Amino acid sequence: MTRVMVVDDHPMWREGVARDLAEAGYEVVATTGEGHQAVRIAGATRPDVVVLDLQLPDVSGVEVIRGLLAAVPEVRVLMLSASGEQQSVLDAVKAGATGYLVKSASPHEFLAAVERTAAGEAVFTPGLAGLVLGEYRRLAAEPPEPDHGAPKLTDRETEVLRLVAKGLSYKQIAERLGVSHRTVQNHVQNTLGKLQLHNRVELTRYAIERGLD
Amino acid sequence: MTLSGGLQVPLWRSIAVYRFASLAFALALIAGNVRDYHRPYAAIPIVIVLIGWTFAAVNLFRRPDRRRWPLLLADLAITTGVVLATPLVVGRDALSRGTPSLAVAWLAAPVLAWAVAGGRRLGIVAALVLGAADLSVRPRITQSSLTATILMLLAAVGVGHVTRLAAIAEERMQRAAELEAATRERERLARDIHDSVLQVLALVRRRGADLDGEAGELARLAGEQEAALRRLIATGSPPAPPGTGLTDLGGLVAAYASDVVSVAAPATAVLLPADVAAQVNAAVGAALDNAARHAGPGARVFVLLEDEVDAVTVSVRDDGAGIPPGRLAEAEREGRLGVAQAIRGRIADLGGTVRVHSAPGQGTEVEMTVPRVVA
Repeated sequence: MTRVMVVDDHPMWREGVARDLAEAGYEVVATTGEGHQAVRIAGATRPDVVVLDLQLPDVSGVEVIRGLLAAVPEVRVLMLSASGEQQSVLDAVKAGATGYLVKSASPHEFLAAVERTAAGEAVFTPGLAGLVLGEYRRLAAEPPEPDHGAPKLTDRETEVLRLVAKGLSYKQIAERLGVSHRTVQNHVQNTLGKLQLHNRVELTRYAIERGLD
Repeated sequence: MTLSGGLQVPLWRSIAVYRFASLAFALALIAGNVRDYHRPYAAIPIVIVLIGWTFAAVNLFRRPDRRRWPLLLADLAITTGVVLATPLVVGRDALSRGTPSLAVAWLAAPVLAWAVAGGRRLGIVAALVLGAADLSVRPRITQSSLTATILMLLAAVGVGHVTRLAAIAEERMQRAAELEAATRERERLARDIHDSVLQVLALVRRRGADLDGEAGELARLAGEQEAALRRLIATGSPPAPPGTGLTDLGGLVAAYASDVVSVAAPATAVLLPADVAAQVNAAVGAALDNAARHAGPGARVFVLLEDEVDAVTVSVRDDGAGIPPGRLAEAEREGRLGVAQAIRGRIADLGGTVRVHSAPGQGTEVEMTVPRVVA
């Protein structure tokens, strides 16, 4: 049974989500409304998936995600957030979240997203695809760094991301490009993986430069 | 350009310092030369006026509400009077022997005051008046007697310029402070709304989504309100730096987001010249109208904004009925496709291109690309 933890500072929302998950056959191992507590509980309960509201009262979403991944390296984070918080969504994805869903999504969409997250798939909204696409372009436009270049998308990956951003389903994209559903999924996953790897390298480099390693 | 705010205070203070320093200089010269004067005792009232007006002027100019025409004119008149009294006290003979005039550097104080109060132009007026008075009392007009007037003119231009810069800087600071206060208040409101109303609305929508009839309708309405409220409090990317004439197209396009319209854009601002951004934004609006009219009920629309190195691309795609091949070109030829023309016209004016892609059952996609003109 997939173990899920729900982190959201609004009690009604939190319990509603937990109930939906329990009814759909998930084991809800913990619910909490605070980021610090979430990290501590995750270490003890070892969930497979964390459903995380990006806007918590005590810490930023990025910090919670880093803490969760440090406590349980194989955990998958599906973040929920309102629209219009573009930069924080992008930062959360770079920090290691693998899925994103707006809070207004239907329970059906939500459960599908949890299922895919648990299966190790990346869950993209069109909005997130636009953000990721923009981030790669931003990195490409920056002056090149001496010892390692910025991550780049292949032409095919760019094409796939653009289609996701334009609202096509993986199935429609697969049909349009004449490839398998699985291939589309891999492409999307790769775009995220490269960004997260780059982010980790940057953080490490920063730490070494500041003598903190 | 008569701002009386914080940045003018140091300017007025330095004029006060100048008044005292030039007074000390003038008194020293008078004391040293009084034996050569034509009427030495007449220098006494002049000295009283010099000292008296220096203290009075410094005191009066300290209050911003008094730095108006009466005081400025009095300052100029009294100083001009002292200059014009010079031949009566010093005497033409002594002046032509090289005895300095009474006011010397003291006469430049009104020029500085006028320049700070009214900018370069008023400063020049004061410099010309005092320069004319100074020249009128000189026995001969030589290169050195012109120097004082020219120095005053230069001072008027210089101080006037500095005053203008100070006024601009002050205006900028004030605008920044206002913007910051407004942003902070907005963020506070957004936090409050997010923590309370939004959560409940989202919950109502979520719980009621599967219900039929009136309850389902209520849930749908709650969802609409939730989306509208979210848009309202969305902070988005920071506005384009003021004064650059650039606008963030991302911010404009984000306003179209709704229950049926998804907007995907980079997290960073997509800066374009304000008029270009407005045109592209209007074209996107037209494309959305078109989609709403032709895509059919229940269709969703996806807007994608892309910021490339040399171009900006906006795609508007709906997942509706689509247009059969040939129909689009045909309609456009017959001039029936007002919307397409509005889009094409606007984008072509900007040197861009429009691509329309559609097939039955696959929706319609309008892709607009505008070149980024390197400034």
